[in-house]
Amino acid sequence: MFLAAAENPLNASDLIFPVLECIHIAGFTILLGTIGLVDLRILGLGLRTQKPAEIARDVGPWTLIGLVLVLISGPLLFSSDPDMYYLNPSFLVKMVLLALAIPFHYLVRRKVALANGSGVGSKIVACTSLALWVGVIFGGIFIGFVNQLR
Amino acid sequence: MSILSFCQWLQSTDFFTALRGSWDVYPAVMSTHLAAIAIFGGLVLVVDLRLLGLALRTRPVADVVNQLRLLKWIGLLIVATCGVLMFGAKAEEYYYNAFFRTKMTILALIAIHALVFRRSVYARVAEFDRSGVIPGRAKLAAALSLMLWMGMIICGRGIGYIEPPLDKIHAANFGDSLRNPEIATQARGQVTQNPFIFSH
Repeated sequence: MFLAAAENPLNASDLIFPVLECIHIAGFTILLGTIGLVDLRILGLGLRTQKPAEIARDVGPWTLIGLVLVLISGPLLFSSDPDMYYLNPSFLVKMVLLALAIPFHYLVRRKVALANGSGVGSKIVACTSLALWVGVIFGGIFIGFVNQLR
Repeated sequence: MSILSFCQWLQSTDFFTALRGSWDVYPAVMSTHLAAIAIFGGLVLVVDLRLLGLALRTRPVADVVNQLRLLKWIGLLIVATCGVLMFGAKAEEYYYNAFFRTKMTILALIAIHALVFRRSVYARVAEFDRSGVIPGRAKLAAALSLMLWMGMIICGRGIGYIEPPLDKIHAANFGDSLRNPEIATQARGQVTQNPFIFSH
């Protein structure tokens, strides 16, 4: 599926990788900003005069835009050096957290938000959502650091 | 004390020397920086999109702007604290880094943006709700804010792509101090080959 690093046209220009990284960062800012807005609201912070369901419905399309941006730029970044990423423990942790975070968002967190949940259970869901996404970011940053250990 | 010698002193302190050498704390600070940018920078984005009429359209502008203000300040505090920690660890390198200098310039522009639009836009959001119209200057403020923060992200990422050759810069300065133009010119020649490095 993926080309060897040297054959990948993505590696032909020095600029493509940093530009993709910026798209990736902008994408997860849109993604986490809109998810965090609803999580914080469930926790009783931020847009308190609005109901969680209203905010969730309003920013839903932006969450999706953010998700699409990271899911396009991410695999392209991965393809620049698949062998390195595949063997990187931090990358594997990131992928596991991501595989949990996306279904958790659409199957659990979304339902809690649309039901205007505000109880302890809903707050635990909001905290779990924030923790999973923050974990994904930590996993991403550490990719560049655990690599230097070897 | 010049800015450069302050930077050299700062990164040589015990605290920042330890931070620089740490394999886990340093990336944890960087991760916190990025996570806070995503969550709280995302709130800046939401406010800007609201002013542009692109998100939360049925919610009052005043609610969106006023109720997210405190959270945005908390976020800025976290982001800036992590930023200062990362700067301190590599202060001398950052001093020469063109992306870092650009990023700080944009940060100053963001402060000016806040001062310029505070009265004419952010203090008047309740009027926008009453009239049902978001004026052009509010949209201008939002568009400029988006562009400035995008610039911050791009420059922030760019910082990691430049590694000022401190050893060669030091060699050039050493040549100067020896009054040996040959050493100085040779070292400086290598330094200036990199267009990203500011000579000083």
